[in-house]
Amino acid sequence: MAKLLIVDDEIDIREFAKNFFKKRNIDVFTASGGNEAFEIIKKESPDLVLLDVRMEEFTGVELLRKIRDEGNKVKVIMVTGVEEEQTINEAKSLGALGYIHKPLILEELEKIVLNELKNNA
Amino acid sequence: MHFNPYSIPPFVTAIINLWLGIVVYSRNKKSQINQSFFLLSLSIVVWLIFASITYNCSQKELAMIFIRMSHLGVAYISITMFHFIVNFLNITKLRKLVIFFYCYGLVCSALFLFTNLLTSDCKQYFWGFYSLAGKLHPAFLIIFIAKIILCVYLLLTNYIKLEDDSLRKQQIKYVFIGIFIFDFSSVDFIPNYGISFYPFGYVTTTLFFLAFAYSIIKYRLLDISIAITRTGIFIAVYSFVLGIPFAIAFGWQKQLLLLFGSQWWLTPLFSMAFFATVGPFIYFYIQKKAEDRLLQEQYRYQTTLRQASAGMGRIKDLNRLVNLIVHIVTRTVRIEHSIVYINDSLKNFFVLGACRAADRRFRPKEFIESKSKLIEQLRQTKAPIVYEEIKQRTQDYGDLALAHLEAELKELNAALVFPSFIEDKLLAIIILGKKLSGRPYSDDDLNVFSILANQAALAIENAQFYEDVKKTHEQLYKAEKMATIGTMADGLSHQINNRLHALGFIASDVLDTIKLKRNLAVTPELKEMLVDIEHGLTRIQENVTQGGEIVRGLLKYTRKGEEGFAEVDLNQLLDSAVEMTQFKIKSGEMTVVREFGGDVPKIKGNFTQLQEVFFNLIDNAYDAMMQRKHEFKESDYEATIRISTEGSDNGHLKILVADNGIGIKDDDRNKLFTPFFTTKLSSKKGTGLGLYVIRKLIEENHGGKVVYDSKYKQGTKVTLSLPIYNHS
Repeated sequence: MAKLLIVDDEIDIREFAKNFFKKRNIDVFTASGGNEAFEIIKKESPDLVLLDVRMEEFTGVELLRKIRDEGNKVKVIMVTGVEEEQTINEAKSLGALGYIHKPLILEELEKIVLNELKNNA
Repeated sequence: MHFNPYSIPPFVTAIINLWLGIVVYSRNKKSQINQSFFLLSLSIVVWLIFASITYNCSQKELAMIFIRMSHLGVAYISITMFHFIVNFLNITKLRKLVIFFYCYGLVCSALFLFTNLLTSDCKQYFWGFYSLAGKLHPAFLIIFIAKIILCVYLLLTNYIKLEDDSLRKQQIKYVFIGIFIFDFSSVDFIPNYGISFYPFGYVTTTLFFLAFAYSIIKYRLLDISIAITRTGIFIAVYSFVLGIPFAIAFGWQKQLLLLFGSQWWLTPLFSMAFFATVGPFIYFYIQKKAEDRLLQEQYRYQTTLRQASAGMGRIKDLNRLVNLIVHIVTRTVRIEHSIVYINDSLKNFFVLGACRAADRRFRPKEFIESKSKLIEQLRQTKAPIVYEEIKQRTQDYGDLALAHLEAELKELNAALVFPSFIEDKLLAIIILGKKLSGRPYSDDDLNVFSILANQAALAIENAQFYEDVKKTHEQLYKAEKMATIGTMADGLSHQINNRLHALGFIASDVLDTIKLKRNLAVTPELKEMLVDIEHGLTRIQENVTQGGEIVRGLLKYTRKGEEGFAEVDLNQLLDSAVEMTQFKIKSGEMTVVREFGGDVPKIKGNFTQLQEVFFNLIDNAYDAMMQRKHEFKESDYEATIRISTEGSDNGHLKILVADNGIGIKDDDRNKLFTPFFTTKLSSKKGTGLGLYVIRKLIEENHGGKVVYDSKYKQGTKVTLSLPIYNHS
């Protein structure tokens, strides 16, 4: 079963995204912040991480850098609101697959996520 | 020498004439009319004084000397009178004749003094010694009478020419009556020919004086009414105080001797004491009555000024202030109209501020150019301009500049123009039309309105300053508000986005659950309910997507260009700029035509800043085109922006943005890049920051150039010069 980690400080996002992907037979982990996410990545080695850029503890980009510093090559898709080009470029240079803009309809997210996980398999 | 009572009447007449002449002259020393009137009085005085002395002479030789001197005056009477009439009627073309007559007078007086040609001898009549005519005297007499007839003729023709019942006509009437009566003094020439006819010329001279005095008081002839009234009353009262006792003493001496014996002198003494006591009271009483009447106008003026200065200082609204000024002016004097023009230093015009006219159809000019002769003259002299004076001087000197000024005044229907100065700044001008009564403006009028104009200047400066401060404050507040919104928008949009995002997820997931369980066997009622819920959730998803787009658009507005300089594609740039304007501009309201090919070189610049620049340019163009559309209502008008590029020079690309909007007036052009200057009609529309920001972004940040070219009613063309991206 594919493993998906959703990192977002919004409880609603975590809850409903988890629900949604569970129905598609995906093993979903959630983390509300950078530290929690970092632990899960190390422990569970998810196939894909959906990483929110703006969070309270660390920003998504900072977390991504930390992961890469550990030598972890996990696939990451950034979830951005209206972030600036600079942030996006930075994330790209750190090997993020791409970015998606909030707000997003789950069906669209599904296409992207399933596509990535399929490539993985 | 002996005392001859016949010498008294001419002497008294001479004194009265002398006094009148001096009063008239001192009242307005510069007026040619007053000057020539003074000369006329002088010649009459010389004539009468020496005639009076002659009557007191007992020897022929001595009498002869005084007779010759008396004729010095006689020689000039008709000449000074002619001079006065010419000045009074303002007949410029006869001025040379006046000079000729004065030369003639010089010859005559020489002949009178040193030869026997005009006066050869003298004869003793019952009233005293009197001259006899010389050989040339008849000629002198004929010319004398000719001059008098000429005067009468001039007055008469000018009187007929004036149709209305104006003040001028009244003045001429009394001058005519005065001169006409004075002509009878010519009887004094009869005894020159040996006929014993009492020379009562002084009587008609006195009547002449009375006619003038009346006209002076009643019709403001020579403008000396108050001075003449005071002294007139004084003389009248004291001629009673002194005259009656003297008359009693001289006239009734015999009767009084019979009545009171040796004590007769007590009667005149007591009457003298009595009149001397009541005299001052009578004098003050009459004086007060007379001055109340005459000074009525001055009192009213003073009241007006007091009220005006109190009222004007308090008004902070410029519009209300200028309306008050014209109101005060028209309330003070009944005039055709009064207008205030205010200096609009931004536009080089004096703009109509307020107007009040007796005739409702009267339409004043909307503005006066700062370059006009009128404004120039006011700036130079800092003094009021009187139309009649300018007209007079134009005729006198034939000066072209004056003629120009006269034409301008005529066009403005201005009888009087007052400048309102604060130091060297001409803030406003006040224009007064003619008085409804047809009377000319007096010195008092000029004084009172000059003071009013100065007070108005202070009040206007106050109001303008207040308005400026208010406007600047509003604009700063607006700019600050915009800046605050800008800073807030970033955090705000993130928050909104997260809420939308969560909403979208919730809706999507629930919707997903419903869809997955679609095949479950449920009752038709439940099925119907699920369809409704599904529809609702889909709508929520739809709204979330739209909300997201709005937030993105908002951010593009406020995003500061922090990212670096990169390759910028002109087409993309325009796309995003046009997109930004879509919050304000409905599609179809204007067309943006791109007149450049796909091979246009890339620009080296900051995308966000350039986006801001093009957004502002398109926004400005749009406002200008809408203004033209609404102001001129041309049926076939199509708002179009044309964007083209031009060959590059030294690594710069020239981008031309041309609209066919209202354009900019010449005078506004050099203020285009001033912060807070806006020509946009409603202050809501423009903060006055757009062009200032454009110049800053292009010239300071990009090392480019902005050139503005605009023609009123044709459109505006902005040429931006931006560096081309160099791949190496």
